[in-house]
Amino acid sequence: MLNIANLTIGFGGAAPVFADTNCMLDEGQRLLVCGEAGSGKSTLLGVAAGLIPRLIPVAEFSGQVELAGRSLPSLTKKELFDTISFVSQNSEDQLWDICVEDVIAFPLENKSVERSAIRDRLTELMTEFGLEALSGRRVLTLSGGERRMVTIAAAIVSSPSILVLDEPTTGLDPAARVRLSNILRKVLDSTPTLLISEQDPLPLRSVIDSIALLRRGGISPSMPPKMVLRQDAAWIDAGILPPMRAPPARQTAERGRPLLTVSGLASQLSRSRGNPVLKDVSFDVRAGEVLALIGRNGAGKTTLFKSILGLTKTTSGSILLDGMKADNWSVAARARKIAYIPQNMRHILFNMTVLGEVIFAITASSASSSDPAVIARAKAALERYALSDLAEANPFALSARQQALLGLACADATGALVAIIDEPLLSRDIKGRQMLELFISSMQSSGRAVMLISHDLELVDDLATRLMILDNGTIAFEGTPEEGWKSDPFRSLGWQTPYDMTAWSMA
Amino acid sequence: MTRLHELNFFIKLGVAFIIMLAAWFAPDWRFGVPLALVCLALLWGLRVPGLRGYIKGAALLTGMVMVSWMINLWLQGLSTPQALPVAAAMAARLVTTTAAFYFVMETSSPGEILAAASAARLPSIATLVLSLTFGVIPMLRDDFERIADAQRSRGMEIDDVGLPTKLRFALARGIPLLVQAIRMAHAISFSLTLYGYDLKHKRTTWREVGLMVEQRLSMKDKTYEL
Repeated sequence: MLNIANLTIGFGGAAPVFADTNCMLDEGQRLLVCGEAGSGKSTLLGVAAGLIPRLIPVAEFSGQVELAGRSLPSLTKKELFDTISFVSQNSEDQLWDICVEDVIAFPLENKSVERSAIRDRLTELMTEFGLEALSGRRVLTLSGGERRMVTIAAAIVSSPSILVLDEPTTGLDPAARVRLSNILRKVLDSTPTLLISEQDPLPLRSVIDSIALLRRGGISPSMPPKMVLRQDAAWIDAGILPPMRAPPARQTAERGRPLLTVSGLASQLSRSRGNPVLKDVSFDVRAGEVLALIGRNGAGKTTLFKSILGLTKTTSGSILLDGMKADNWSVAARARKIAYIPQNMRHILFNMTVLGEVIFAITASSASSSDPAVIARAKAALERYALSDLAEANPFALSARQQALLGLACADATGALVAIIDEPLLSRDIKGRQMLELFISSMQSSGRAVMLISHDLELVDDLATRLMILDNGTIAFEGTPEEGWKSDPFRSLGWQTPYDMTAWSMA
Repeated sequence: MTRLHELNFFIKLGVAFIIMLAAWFAPDWRFGVPLALVCLALLWGLRVPGLRGYIKGAALLTGMVMVSWMINLWLQGLSTPQALPVAAAMAARLVTTTAAFYFVMETSSPGEILAAASAARLPSIATLVLSLTFGVIPMLRDDFERIADAQRSRGMEIDDVGLPTKLRFALARGIPLLVQAIRMAHAISFSLTLYGYDLKHKRTTWREVGLMVEQRLSMKDKTYEL
């Protein structure tokens, strides 16, 4: 149905992203493309969806892309986007400040579909996706996982023949991933052909029927999942942690002095029924530990770290930083003790060079410094995270992976006591994981601590020394990950335990 | 939010124009100043979002207009008692006008404007221009605040500092705001193309549009959680 032949594509770098690459997607095929960060997954999907080079020009492009025997450039935009729907890895790239219903209904409104038909379809999809509670909300106020579900709903609203999804499970909690899997299976009658990219093939295992791996500027032939999932060497060759790997030895750490102590915290931000998002939250983060925080999408994880940083108001409770009462500290004063690394680094970048960002992280006032010690410290941080060559680049021009590394470099350079890492992008990528582990060991060895917020339970199991489960506005569990996976609060989430291969084998 | 926020965008726009005309045709300050004060009171009574920021801006505008007009009129030979009513009348006109359109802008989301324009069967180009004109400014303001939060959360002290430093830091947000504005324009353009927005094609809307514009789809057993 979709045939990509002799594709060479480059963005002006030393080597093209793909060189003379071929990829075929048959009608009804559900192909999953896996590769490390920067391997060209988004580029391949962009070409397949007709976005590159039509909407996104590139420095170098050659080859043929055909849809049902017709050259893609010969199709009108209407023909193209009526047939293929695309969901970007970063859902912000295709959202603006309209409400949930507006986003989902937009393709139908543009086709002049009758109001009653649009409303019926909206009701159907919002129910299936579990979005009823978000009715009327502005999409830019939603959490990352919620936004993703909205954009996917918009992509399938007009029943395209081919659905192209770029890392659709990013930011989704395990229950939402299962819901997405079920939805994709359900729409196969109207949208039978899927092209999906992911780093972890398991969450969508029940949807796909073939897997191809990206490596060294090319793509492997598509293979049945059963055949490729257990080939650890193939995944390692592609730069990704093998999905069926055995769990590594569990991390332990001696808990040092308390660096951050939260007592009886309640948020001013409330749910519609008047219940505060956070109520009576108490915990501490101690030197040398990696504390993981998990919870459903919308459980209040974002509100918790914003409350700790002072970005959202609290109605009660207190915060101690390094033993000092910090309730009346400004956000900036708290931030000198707590470094925050969001998944989307673009949210916190605002300087004009990569080096400037790290210098700012150190000085907290300026992106330039005449102090040789500050410059040396900034350059050392860049070198540690393999960013030295990009010191003078604009941070907004970096790839998502490079921005994530920059986040680690900045947090490391600040000397902050606690780093909060929110859903790291680097979790499944072998090189990225090495950098993440380097960062964590650097924090631990210098008597600092890391708070890890993630839906990737295997990442949590691999790296965390302690686990907290946030549910119903309170800390429902606190203890070792091993105890956590067996606890009632975890069972009540209905999530699969990490490294539970029996469940995947049955899928 | 009050029900008046849900008024059809075109009705709000029409009322804003009438108020603006009343302000500009007001004979002197004795009519203009009370009208401006009534408009400000209405903004407060109608709980328009972001009012504190608007009041600061309006105060700055009033001060600048008063000073520049007073100097101008003095240079033309008018005495202070003669110049003051003229300057006050001009400042009042501007405050009334901005207050009226601030209400329209703050209470009309791009989605509601799209719906009202689509229901009125306006050409797509007019629909798009109206949505972006009135919708993008609040988005940029939110981004300005978000960048400030990013600066704070990375340790930049922008609150406990003097006004000159505060202003300097606010100006420093200009570059990231520009980058964000370009990104936003790209996202809007990308989503319009991807979802089949065609300038030659009239659109429909999922919303019920009449005197009021429906805010959310009513579904049975709806619950609201963050």
